[in-house]
Amino acid sequence: MSSSPPPSSAAASPSCPKKMIALRSSDGETFEIEEAAALQSKTLENMIDEDCAGTPIPLPNVTGKILAKVVEFCSKHAEPGVDDESLRAWDAEFVNVEQATVFDYILAANFLEIPTLLNLTCNVVADMIRGKTPDEIRKFFNIKSIFSPEEEEEVRRENHWAFE
Amino acid sequence: MAEARTSTSTTTDGSPISNLAPDHLFSILLLLPFDSIVCFSMTCKKLRTLACSDALWESICRRDWGPTLVDALKSSYYREGEFPWMKIYNHVLHLDSVACHNLSETGGGEMVLPSPRASHSLNFVSDCLVLFGGGCEGGRHLDDTWVAYIGQDFRRRLRWQRVNSGSPSGRFGHTCVVIGDFLVLFGGINDHGNRQNDTWVGQVAGHETLGITLLWRLLDVDSIVPPARGAHAACCIDDRKMVVYGGIGLYGVRLGDTWVLELSENFCLGRWHEVVTQPSPPARSGHSLTCIGGSLAVLFGGRGLGYEVLNDVWLLDLSEGNGTWVELFYELSDIPDGVCLPRVGHSANLVLGGRLLIHGGEDSCRNRKNDFWVLDIKAIPSIRFQPIEGKSWKRLNSKGYKPNGRSFHRTCADHSGRYLYVYGGMMDGLIQPAESSGLRFDGELFLAELMLRL
Repeated sequence: MSSSPPPSSAAASPSCPKKMIALRSSDGETFEIEEAAALQSKTLENMIDEDCAGTPIPLPNVTGKILAKVVEFCSKHAEPGVDDESLRAWDAEFVNVEQATVFDYILAANFLEIPTLLNLTCNVVADMIRGKTPDEIRKFFNIKSIFSPEEEEEVRRENHWAFE
Repeated sequence: MAEARTSTSTTTDGSPISNLAPDHLFSILLLLPFDSIVCFSMTCKKLRTLACSDALWESICRRDWGPTLVDALKSSYYREGEFPWMKIYNHVLHLDSVACHNLSETGGGEMVLPSPRASHSLNFVSDCLVLFGGGCEGGRHLDDTWVAYIGQDFRRRLRWQRVNSGSPSGRFGHTCVVIGDFLVLFGGINDHGNRQNDTWVGQVAGHETLGITLLWRLLDVDSIVPPARGAHAACCIDDRKMVVYGGIGLYGVRLGDTWVLELSENFCLGRWHEVVTQPSPPARSGHSLTCIGGSLAVLFGGRGLGYEVLNDVWLLDLSEGNGTWVELFYELSDIPDGVCLPRVGHSANLVLGGRLLIHGGEDSCRNRKNDFWVLDIKAIPSIRFQPIEGKSWKRLNSKGYKPNGRSFHRTCADHSGRYLYVYGGMMDGLIQPAESSGLRFDGELFLAELMLRL
């Protein structure tokens, strides 16, 4: 059990190399993450400040499956000496997952306040929407349309201006 | 163990996107072009409400047209409750007409009016129209400064006040650019044929007894100055600098050089430097150079070294390093009927919806035109290596007052980009248009209003 207090300035590099923070997912799994990586998350940054280091930080909104990936993301983005192009390629691979997982990432990035992950995932969803017709968007995202045929027709008429 | 609260977002209707928080949905939609947003809004009722909201579409208007135009629209059309931004976007997208209003005082008043002229400068600064110099009958230069207070009511008749004369010295074919609350004037030709390269700064000031006035002073610049010239073009870049291109220099030779003036905090000092790039537009005069936002400017038309009237379009990008000129190509056969390029002595202003509004000027046969047409330049910065599409050019219908064809008139737009003031210029005389003795200088002021059904 560690009894040393956490570094006072969360923004500075950790006082000793490879200081690890423990996280616990909603389904009871524990993960370790380097402090530098954890600081990618504003939520974690605040919690570390509050002298909670040592006991695993409970994250009731994130499952183990997603948390594992989030830890991977933060660790990669905290790695020194990675050039922009490699990081972009890595990010592209990271979000090359099924649709539902991307939305899970969005929720986790929001809860943990990780701007880089939120930005990346929003762009992925935008890419999924761009250039598709309404029918294609419905099919892709499994959206149930509850317009009546008359409403459907009215909507089409109202919006034809965007496609002239 | 208690039921784990998962972070999966599937719900009873099986669509995670419908259950995204509105904030996230907004962030995602703001990354999309407007037609994708409209498609998205057509998928279901819940998403339609979110994707059609005024808050979202105001952000889209800001994104696509810039904050200045949007703020000006808001202040001139204040209404309780909602502002129909999605509808406004639609109307601006399909802008196809201007309505012209003649603002000239007709005879009978006691007012002294600016005399007819061409190649003067006309600017909108500190809520006032400012007119300086120009050439008139007999090729004489003028050196008078006139100011008219406009305020918010663009269509009322103006009261011109003559506030100055003699300084700056008389000239025509100079440029005058608005930077913040200042006017920056450069170059020009006087009636002895001498080209100038002095730089002046003007500022509107209130005066207790005289009302509004304008104070001019010579700008202190280094020893490095552009060669003297007239009939060049200039515009403000980055809200802080001025770019000058081309013009007619010593011995009547047309120039093709690019110069940038940087001003100190309080506009007391200026530093010129030349921007030398390859490629660079061929030398010309009577062309237009218009800032389209940030560090980008568009050059169009003019008269080249062989006296031919030009129709090329170039983009100047001063955002990185030294700067670059890129020619924007297009197929002449793609241009819709009614849009006739080439032009010289035309005006080009950035107006509502991120378009370049071009008016008048002379064509290759020296006919003076009175047409209004637009070049949609929003897409240009991102597709600079692809040709401009035919549909980016559009001829506008002109309603109301019908202005005469003119060249070397001057124009300026208001902050909202909805109103364009047009003053003076040369018109075809009663005799053959091609003969210079058939010239008429015009002294009328009119307003071109972009028609929005609000």
